[in-house]
Amino acid sequence: MSAAQVAPRRSRGIFSTIGAYLPHPTRWRHVVGYMVAVYRREWVGSVFSGFVEPLVVLAGLGIGLGVLVGDRAAEITGGVSYVAYIAPALMASQAMQFGTGEAAWPVLARIMWVRIYHSMVATPLKPTDIMVGVIAFIGGKVAFTATFFAAVLFVTGIATSAQGALAMIGVSTLTGLAFAAPMTAYSVTQKTDQGFAVIFRLVITPLTFFSGTYFPIENLPDWAQFISWCTPLAHGVALSRGLALGVETPNALAHALILVAWTVGGTVIASILFRRRMLK
Amino acid sequence: MNLSTSNATALIRARGLTKTFGERTAVDAINFDVRDGEFFGFLGPNGAGKTTTMRMIAGVSPRTAGALSILGSDPDTDGPRIRGQIGVVHQQETLDQELTVRENLLVFGRFFGLAHKEIAERADQLLELFQLSDRAKDQVEPLSGGMKRRLSIARSLINAPRVLMLDEPTTGLDPQARHLLWDALQRLKRAGTTIVLTTHYMDEAEQLCDRLVVMDQAKIVAEGSPRQLIEQHASREVLELRFPDGTSGISKAALEGIGDRYERLAERVIVGCENGEEAHARALAHGLTPESWLVRRSSLEDVFLRLTGRSLDE
Repeated sequence: MSAAQVAPRRSRGIFSTIGAYLPHPTRWRHVVGYMVAVYRREWVGSVFSGFVEPLVVLAGLGIGLGVLVGDRAAEITGGVSYVAYIAPALMASQAMQFGTGEAAWPVLARIMWVRIYHSMVATPLKPTDIMVGVIAFIGGKVAFTATFFAAVLFVTGIATSAQGALAMIGVSTLTGLAFAAPMTAYSVTQKTDQGFAVIFRLVITPLTFFSGTYFPIENLPDWAQFISWCTPLAHGVALSRGLALGVETPNALAHALILVAWTVGGTVIASILFRRRMLK
Repeated sequence: MNLSTSNATALIRARGLTKTFGERTAVDAINFDVRDGEFFGFLGPNGAGKTTTMRMIAGVSPRTAGALSILGSDPDTDGPRIRGQIGVVHQQETLDQELTVRENLLVFGRFFGLAHKEIAERADQLLELFQLSDRAKDQVEPLSGGMKRRLSIARSLINAPRVLMLDEPTTGLDPQARHLLWDALQRLKRAGTTIVLTTHYMDEAEQLCDRLVVMDQAKIVAEGSPRQLIEQHASREVLELRFPDGTSGISKAALEGIGDRYERLAERVIVGCENGEEAHARALAHGLTPESWLVRRSSLEDVFLRLTGRSLDE
């Protein structure tokens, strides 16, 4: 019997194809459990850096740049000090950097070197369960670090209310996820880490500057504004700043929904690409 | 090929199982049955299609064509259910080096949705069974190759699988570690686990397998117990003649009639015969002057040589 004589495998129906990509309602949590078990060994170190990093950022950029900007701050910020203007934006920006980084090397390492994902797909876990678990864990880690940032901003009075500071943790988490999910989709297609430098240089670093972090997005030409609003960070910055200053952010719901859309879209694409890579 | 088609207890059944990657056919319409409780082997050189076949059985590689049933289910539609009942040990290590020996088992058990208590009990039993109890709290990284492989197998058993799949389980292990592993696998088999393994080691296949198929170039070229295969495809004894300067200068006439059949390799002539000593005497009478010679019982290596015209390690 040769291959040509064998009946071809019947193709899946559309519902069964969609079913293959839907996560199991609970199994992804076991993936989070695994990531937590690994993280338990290193979290003490991240508590220290969690406090130090926002302080360094505030001292260096906020106070340093603030002195340079001086009396012109009010022109840019519409009345508040320059530190108070950029600090909540830097918190969102840090969530972006952290979320992207966590979705880069750790994801690739578990495919290429640790190879734990190869044994995970051999269990009842579906590739989608693994991706949802991985991205959810990154969200948790972003929330954990954002908590320190929020605490620092609240104690220094930059965040004007405790509720605002708490909500900022949520915004940062969502911002981190909006980057982590698509970045995971990218990472699962990579064979080496060389592609990560490109993302950081061409996407992450420019976004830090052109998303309303250091100056209002309205100062940009129209086309650049449009590009900024298509990416997640501008929305995270707008929400974070409004919460810190205690003023209402116009279109807050739209900003949040765009961050959710990036998260969900990235997770779906990551699941498809991860499945394609692991199940061949 | 003589297949036992009416076997009600076949846990795994493949008919016309085929896998292609673009133009390349990795597995070409193979048929086989794995019965409940047996130790079944895929023997063949690297690239024969063994690992691809194992991946299809394990439900991590969708087949291109043919029928495949594992524990009564189709991996295309019932993947998670099938994967919940089998254990897989990969050729390359997939342990998490950042976790301890015991944590590797605990975390893995959760992927099957098992309860913490059940996993903990089973993990301790498995560590005992694989002689890793005293390393339970150690990191994985400093363990020896043999220990890591035993831990991989222990981990694959955390869900008490009905079928254990091992891809080249002893590659890269020293002889002592291999024998330790073989003993552990025999104990598992006696306890009722069906075991499927791939290997390119003849002695491993002979030692462990109740039945095996020989794969070469994406096809199954023979099937049976090691003894059956040797009886069917090889003579009783083998005379090996060594010619370090090469065998190409030896005439066909000189080689014919020494034994029942012969294979000419680069530096060796392998002669299948009833009696090796007598064949050696005939070889000398034919004017052959080998640098050295030996007589041994036929092995699966000779079966493979006979079926493919190639030696396994070539």
